[in-house]
Amino acid sequence: MTKEQRLKKRHAAEKRFRLYGLTSILVALVFVLILVNNIFSKGSSAFMKTVINVEVFFDPELIEIENGAPEENIREADFYDITIETLLKAYPAKNLDEENELIDLFTTDAEIEIKKAFLENNNLIGKKINLEITASDDIDQLHKGNYPRNLPEDRRRISNFQLKIYDNLLKNNKINKNFNNYFFNNGDSRDPELAGIGGALVGSFYSIIICLLLAFPVAVLASIYLEEFAPKNKITDFIEININNLAAVPSIVYGLLALQILLATIQLPRSTPLVAGITLALMTLPRIIIPCRASLKAVPPSIREGALAVGASKFQSVFHHVVPLSLPGTLSGTIIGLAQALGETAPLILIGMVAFVVDIPSTPIDPSSSLPVQVYLWSESAERGFVEKTSATIMMLLSFLIVMNFIAVYLRQKFEKRWN
Amino acid sequence: MSEVKIKSNNLNVFYGDKQALFDVNLDLNEKEVTALIGPSGCGKSTFIRCINRMNDVIDICKVTGNIEIDGVEINDENLDVVSLRERVGMVFQKPNPFPKSIYDNISYGPKIHGKGETKSELDEIVERSLKKAALWEEVKDRLDEPGTGLSGGQQQRLCIARAISVNPEVILMDEPCSALDPIATAKIEELIDELKKTYTIVIVTHSMAQAVRVSQKTGFFHLGKLIEVGKTEKIFKNPDNKMTQDYITGRFG
Repeated sequence: MTKEQRLKKRHAAEKRFRLYGLTSILVALVFVLILVNNIFSKGSSAFMKTVINVEVFFDPELIEIENGAPEENIREADFYDITIETLLKAYPAKNLDEENELIDLFTTDAEIEIKKAFLENNNLIGKKINLEITASDDIDQLHKGNYPRNLPEDRRRISNFQLKIYDNLLKNNKINKNFNNYFFNNGDSRDPELAGIGGALVGSFYSIIICLLLAFPVAVLASIYLEEFAPKNKITDFIEININNLAAVPSIVYGLLALQILLATIQLPRSTPLVAGITLALMTLPRIIIPCRASLKAVPPSIREGALAVGASKFQSVFHHVVPLSLPGTLSGTIIGLAQALGETAPLILIGMVAFVVDIPSTPIDPSSSLPVQVYLWSESAERGFVEKTSATIMMLLSFLIVMNFIAVYLRQKFEKRWN
Repeated sequence: MSEVKIKSNNLNVFYGDKQALFDVNLDLNEKEVTALIGPSGCGKSTFIRCINRMNDVIDICKVTGNIEIDGVEINDENLDVVSLRERVGMVFQKPNPFPKSIYDNISYGPKIHGKGETKSELDEIVERSLKKAALWEEVKDRLDEPGTGLSGGQQQRLCIARAISVNPEVILMDEPCSALDPIATAKIEELIDELKKTYTIVIVTHSMAQAVRVSQKTGFFHLGKLIEVGKTEKIFKNPDNKMTQDYITGRFG
């Protein structure tokens, strides 16, 4: 082979490699785009809800309270009659069946919404106001274009009569879209228009905080001891291998462990963020120890020697110099470990977090859901309204993960600048 | 003739199965510069790391024999290495300032030894150390800037100032100029000349010319053995040993 041929071959090899690299990045990007597009197109509509504008007349004959009544009295008062009156005024119904179908266009919480509007003013007796009542899930989906109206009536959840009302309301500009506050403030619900991730958000938050409080100090101290103080012998080698193995153990195994030890033996309360946090901490521990040790290892030995040479003790050289320098790596490793824990589903299912929880947990020992489990729960529900809710929850989860990863990158860059 | 400050007696060092030093008997005089020369891997650095027990850091390293400073045995398990290293400072081959401010680099040692109780005491120590290391004029206006931002030669003088800050008796220098350019090297050598009035200095060097310029006494190591030691002038002009002769004339090494 001549020199030119060899040169040509070398250049061709380099070009080929660049091409392979570029192709694999493009393929990866396409998959990401498909995923993101799929989630966004399905989920973005969940942040809006359909409302129907109705006129509410607070008829003194239908309500037993007066203007300026104490708040508890209003909360206990019966607004059922006035709600029915209001909803029936939306469209003329001829018989009881039609009346029921008309009422079904609105959310089951219509009474609560009317009561809330009254509470805000507390002087509406005998007055008329316009109020936007949340529509039922079926109308919501129909309005968002997710519901096929050309099916035969017996295969539709919406009757022809309801469609007629809907078209009429639409024509009179009575149907609007508002920001879906229920999605963020409510817990789970059987009615998709009322279901929200409030409970799951709080549950996930408590779980991650408990996970952080348990895993971070233990992981950091363990890695400092192993890396800086422990003698290098067979026992520490064995421990190191096992930490690496534990980091690779499937998370469901930690769920089984928690089920047996935390729930069956210690009898901690089921389905709670407390148990979830402990389980996630066990799972996250080795995943934090590994990057912590790596960042301690990355501190050049010359820094340790410099400190020792001016007469610092081992402890001083580690805690005054090595640990502060390893901090960016430690923190970003911790945050990435927590981000993994935030998205973990399998162990939480085993400790009973799949339960249907309506109330938003107020303490870590209240039954609760979590974001990924909420995704799992809703993805199994039949109602169309839950499809968009599932995707929207994934969007929330993904944005938390992205934010956490950004913080990790930011911390790393910000503190590493002090090196030079 | 000045007094002997450090005395080693049958010093042997092992790294695992490998023996790095063989029965080294070497006396180092007070307030004098002793240069240690020899080809790479001959044990000069290992020897000076015995003087401040820096070899303790290496798990597999084992030291036998005696080293005395002022007649006190330091190769003793019960000896507190922290107070030993307070007396025996060290400057390394590669400048290794802490990634902190210039001020913090100098004040760290005195702080951990409780030498500067107040801010003004510390200020004074920092100024004195930097002046002794001939760095004060260059950095006095930017003491709060990171020490890692200085040039290589300045960093090495900062490390010397750091070693001086705790007021040691001995300063060990492990090839302090090998990473520096000739101008920075000249500055460090001038500095060493000045420092020997106050401190006992041991310097490991690969540069024969440097050994001639800075030292009063020279020891030649080869394969872990101390081949010859004597006045610098004698070693370089008229060595007793054939191997020393070959090394200083550049025939091997």
